[in-house]
Amino acid sequence: MENYILDLLRSSGADAWTVSDVRRRGWEFYFVRHALDQNRARDAEHITLTVYRQFSEGEQSFLGSASAEIAPSASPAEAEKLIAQLLDEAKLIRNPFYTLNEPRGEAVLTAQAPDLRAISGDFLRAMRSVEESADAFINSYEIFADCVERRFISSTGIDVTDVYPASMTEVVVNARRAGHEIELYRMYKSGSCDAAGLKANVEETLRFGRDKLRAQKTPALGKCDVVFSTDDALEIYSYFIDRMSTNMVFQRISDLEIGKRVCEDAGGDALTVRALRSLENSSHNGAYDEEGAPVRELTIIDKSVAKSYFGSRMFSQYLGLEDSFMPGNIAVDGGAASAAELRTGRYLEIVEFSDFQVDAMCGDIAGEIRLGYLHDGDTVTVVEGGSVSGTMRELAGSMRFSKEQRQYDNYLIPAVTRLQGVSITGAE
Amino acid sequence: MKAPFSPYLDAIAPGLKKLVALLGEDYDYVSVLSTDSVGFVVSISQRAKHVDHSTMMTERGSVVRVRRGGLYSEFAFNRFDPACPEQTAAEARRVLNEQFALLEETKSEIYDTPALPDEPCELREEMETGELPENCDLGELVDSFSEMSARGVACGEHAVDCHVRGQSTHVCKMFLTAKRDMRQSYVYSEGVVAVIAAGEAGVKFGYESVSDRKGPEIFALLGEKVEKVAKSAEELLTAERIEPGEYEVIVSPEVSGLIAHEAFGHGVEMDMFVKNRALGAEYIGKRVGSDLVTMHEGAKPEIQVASYAFDDEGTLAHDTVEIRNGILQTGVCDALAALRLGVEPTGNGKRQNFEHKVYTRMTNTVFESGESTLEEMIATVKYGYLLKGMQSGMEDPKHWGIQCIIDRGYEIRDGKLTGKVVSPIVMTGYVPDLLGSISMLSRDHELFGSGGCGKGHKEWVKVSDGGPYMKAKARLG
Repeated sequence: MENYILDLLRSSGADAWTVSDVRRRGWEFYFVRHALDQNRARDAEHITLTVYRQFSEGEQSFLGSASAEIAPSASPAEAEKLIAQLLDEAKLIRNPFYTLNEPRGEAVLTAQAPDLRAISGDFLRAMRSVEESADAFINSYEIFADCVERRFISSTGIDVTDVYPASMTEVVVNARRAGHEIELYRMYKSGSCDAAGLKANVEETLRFGRDKLRAQKTPALGKCDVVFSTDDALEIYSYFIDRMSTNMVFQRISDLEIGKRVCEDAGGDALTVRALRSLENSSHNGAYDEEGAPVRELTIIDKSVAKSYFGSRMFSQYLGLEDSFMPGNIAVDGGAASAAELRTGRYLEIVEFSDFQVDAMCGDIAGEIRLGYLHDGDTVTVVEGGSVSGTMRELAGSMRFSKEQRQYDNYLIPAVTRLQGVSITGAE
Repeated sequence: MKAPFSPYLDAIAPGLKKLVALLGEDYDYVSVLSTDSVGFVVSISQRAKHVDHSTMMTERGSVVRVRRGGLYSEFAFNRFDPACPEQTAAEARRVLNEQFALLEETKSEIYDTPALPDEPCELREEMETGELPENCDLGELVDSFSEMSARGVACGEHAVDCHVRGQSTHVCKMFLTAKRDMRQSYVYSEGVVAVIAAGEAGVKFGYESVSDRKGPEIFALLGEKVEKVAKSAEELLTAERIEPGEYEVIVSPEVSGLIAHEAFGHGVEMDMFVKNRALGAEYIGKRVGSDLVTMHEGAKPEIQVASYAFDDEGTLAHDTVEIRNGILQTGVCDALAALRLGVEPTGNGKRQNFEHKVYTRMTNTVFESGESTLEEMIATVKYGYLLKGMQSGMEDPKHWGIQCIIDRGYEIRDGKLTGKVVSPIVMTGYVPDLLGSISMLSRDHELFGSGGCGKGHKEWVKVSDGGPYMKAKARLG
């Protein structure tokens, strides 16, 4: 970023200002089966300016702000014009007064710029190492390896930089038998390449694919326990996590209160959610959030009781929090039982949805079943079709989850989650 | 007025043409797409206000596409000195050569693709619009949205807030090759009013949107929707859960659009044919819906947020009839997938932005209208639901499964609405069964273009979709 942008902001007359300067260099590889369809490289810098104006009306004080991205190719004249425009617009925004983050002096996580060639090579070799067969194989995949350099500067004296890797692999697998072919879709995110983890995940999906070939239509089960053992469970935990954000609480979209339970006590496991400063191979291992607040360890929910809200500076201050932040990594502690103990009795374990969703606002759950295993004693029936529905407002209190945990990028959550009495619409 | 083309892009065009020529020394196909799109977002609620200038399509940057040895490669960047294109050419060569070296080292097989044709074309299209977003008086807009927000809260018994949001973007894109010089500019806008209500059933929200390939003047229409939105939020608070089963349904134009989009929109994106990921490839010329079903896709036939003159590969906009009287005719195709399949591209090659790859993507996807009125349609339903409001959908081109999450259903018994409301509704099924059951269509149709569409779980682009009211049979849960 050119220094004239900072000079213009300093002399602009703004009551405060911040600059987010994010440069992402990326390598991408797109394959059809194992033939390279296209390779791509990116080098783009995104500079976002926010200016603040403080003003009063009667006894009320306001802090208005306006933001815009300025192209790195912008001339000083363009920058000057844009900043003047933002100054005018900030006065239109009558948000109650709050203050910006100040430097807090916490230690910085040091990081080397990741080697995109090495990370890309690891991904290319990892995908080649997956054990395929004539009846279950990789249809196509896309590899994205990024080096993220994120600098945040503010008029209050913050000037911090994070450098970290962020990667993503999209994989489509097919399984085929007697002219019938199915596909399953997966997206894996991580810091750099976890070759063993990626191989294991894709091979697990290939196994699911083979099973889907022998799936029967899901019967109309009425109410049935459902077990989640893939990243669809993130939706369930996000229902609690999102509602602990100051954004949702202040805007009265969430009714969770500090010191009170986050769900009814109906015999489920006690839920503990923590923000983590770093998580191995997460793609969110920055030391600061996007407003320059240092990321730290924080217990958000403790044994199903709301303990600490988290969130952006404005909404956090409105709720009286001075040292809040937006966490990059989240851990949900394990429950009382093992995964094997949770997989007992009659239950439907769903490993593939079209798009499983939990509405963070009202708790409604919904998703079309693409592959599930209906367990009833010693009998296991592979099923597909139909859908799940219900509301977390009724399901959360009896929710149980395993001692074992599984990591999905920046989330470490119980490996197995069991919801009791979910409505199942059959496909028959 | 005409949406003026970007002076910045005009200024860097000579430098970019030099860049194309320089890379042409090493590659047998070179193109560059450059963008310079500006806009704003204004968001007002009782609890928070916000203005910024980043919308889904605001961007400034370039991407070069090159071909050598049957392999297409791209380099995306947003620092460019038109006086020194040699610098960018050298950087593109350097980083792509590094990638080629890695691909050799890992013995990666190449998907051999022919060279794209480079037929001469010169085009400069500045499309008609109302107000430009950069000229909009944001102070007036903030005042207008504030009034709507206050009214939304006042008219809902359980309303806790009313969010009003509008965004408008002036899009400018330029596509250059050795023989092509194509430049286009247009404006699109979208807005939404959402009322949040809280009750014993928890927190629910109702919403209505507006969108068009016009300027911020369309946001005035939001004001007419406030009371209706507040009413729908209240309805959701007392809505019951639906008894799962198969029902006669009448879907609103918004839900018709969702079905069009998820059923045979994604299902006939022909880059999926290249990967053998779409069942549609085997059904060209075969029946996939009832005689009433005719569906168009293209940036040309309708004027909405996804209507443009040419796509991100320099292919002119088309009107593609995908389904005619229930028979699948063809799909839509980007330029590279077309080369691989031996068909003509349809102007559906789109990028999320200059940093992203081109995929085959939808533009405006719409069912043709029929002959009935909504009242006539309701009168024919013995027991079923009128379905309104969409939350989300998901495609399954390989198996033609469909998932649509719908806001609410109004019960119909013996040809009359009973007043009972159910919510939310998960509509699932097999696409040909659903389209095959369509038995009535209303005379009017409507398109919706707020929000975005992903491919898989990424690559978000603007699309619109819609149709008439449609009567069908569907599985609801």
